[in-house]
Amino acid sequence: MERRPGEQAAGEPADCGAGGGEGGDDEPPQGAGAQAARPEARLTLLLRLRAQTKQQLLEYKSMVDANEEKTPEQLIQDKHIEAKIEDLEKEVEEVKTAFEMKKLALDRMQLSIALQKNLEKIDPKTSVLMDNMKHVLKLNKLIMKSHQESWDLEEKLLDVRKKRLELKQSSENKLLEIQTEKNKQKDDLANMENSNKIKAMQRNLKMEIQITTVIQNVFQNLILGSKANWAEDPTLKEIVLQLEKNLTTI
Amino acid sequence: MSVLRPLDKQPGLNTATILLVGTEDALLQQLADAMLKEDCASELKIHLARSLPLPSDVNRPRIDLIMFVVNLHSKYSLQNVEESLRHVDATFFLGKVGFLAMGAGQESHCSIHRNTVTKLANTYRSPLFFCDLEREGFRATVAQRLVRMLQICAGHVPGVSALNLLSLLRSSENPAPEDL
Repeated sequence: MERRPGEQAAGEPADCGAGGGEGGDDEPPQGAGAQAARPEARLTLLLRLRAQTKQQLLEYKSMVDANEEKTPEQLIQDKHIEAKIEDLEKEVEEVKTAFEMKKLALDRMQLSIALQKNLEKIDPKTSVLMDNMKHVLKLNKLIMKSHQESWDLEEKLLDVRKKRLELKQSSENKLLEIQTEKNKQKDDLANMENSNKIKAMQRNLKMEIQITTVIQNVFQNLILGSKANWAEDPTLKEIVLQLEKNLTTI
Repeated sequence: MSVLRPLDKQPGLNTATILLVGTEDALLQQLADAMLKEDCASELKIHLARSLPLPSDVNRPRIDLIMFVVNLHSKYSLQNVEESLRHVDATFFLGKVGFLAMGAGQESHCSIHRNTVTKLANTYRSPLFFCDLEREGFRATVAQRLVRMLQICAGHVPGVSALNLLSLLRSSENPAPEDL
């Protein structure tokens, strides 16, 4: 539902909004200058209206052209429509940028022709234009120099980074080698311990130790059984003590 | 005639009409007043409506721009706007429709998330403005923007059309359509 006060608000601006932006109003309050100002104001207004009507005509024309294209009748899925819309928008953007580029090129050409004509007229050594152009050239040279310097610095930075990377990689390799060597040593050790020879040797050793222990005990018991006082005789003492040594701990 | 079409009437000479659709009557009225205060070479006509469809018995000029005002504090305003969107012809969305979301400043009162409105604007591929209509300064800024947009949509600015403006406004918020 539309509100009537809304319409009323629309009525009022006709007074205060009309011609507010332009310098000339339709009804300027001053008296004398008003007569001279009015035809100019009317001229501006007419020119503005002309531009507006042109633009509006363009809009209507383009709408008519657009309506001549047939829209597809069958139902297309949302995603397809979205994709199509984006394609169309990209096309519009491309056309716009191409147009802007062409306009720029045209402007540049016009500017250069105007400059040429201007230069032919005036004394080329003393004009402000020449000073400006020389200043521009100087600045351009400076810019190119600083570009070159920054490029060189970036190159150096890149080289340093490359070297660092290389060093890192070689140190990685070395560490890897060290690790493999250590692992190999460990494996060899483990292998050695597990080999059969050692096992056999160990078994023999055990057997010998056991035999010797038995002989030790036999001798001990012989000496004890002989009921001799072995503590007083130093050689007997030595023998008994030696026989006490536990061979498994050696 | 319940569907609004953009170019079905002849344009008034030197006149530009905007239609503000929203549930917040007082704020819309204030926005309208702010717009009228703006400096503009052409005549401005501002229509306020709570919802579409508009009554067809009134003789009204050709509408150049529709702004849907959504209050982020009330879900009803969003519903209202969504309802009204159905009564707008598809050709209107070629740059002559905009969305204005108000009340985004007070996060605690917002019952509609900002993303909802953003998605709505993206579905209809129309520009979205955020504004706090209760503060005078912000209102004046938005009024200025709307007046410029209205001038372009009414064809008063030679060389720029509504569609042109739309694609100009689009390029600054590029990532949004890919999220959909």
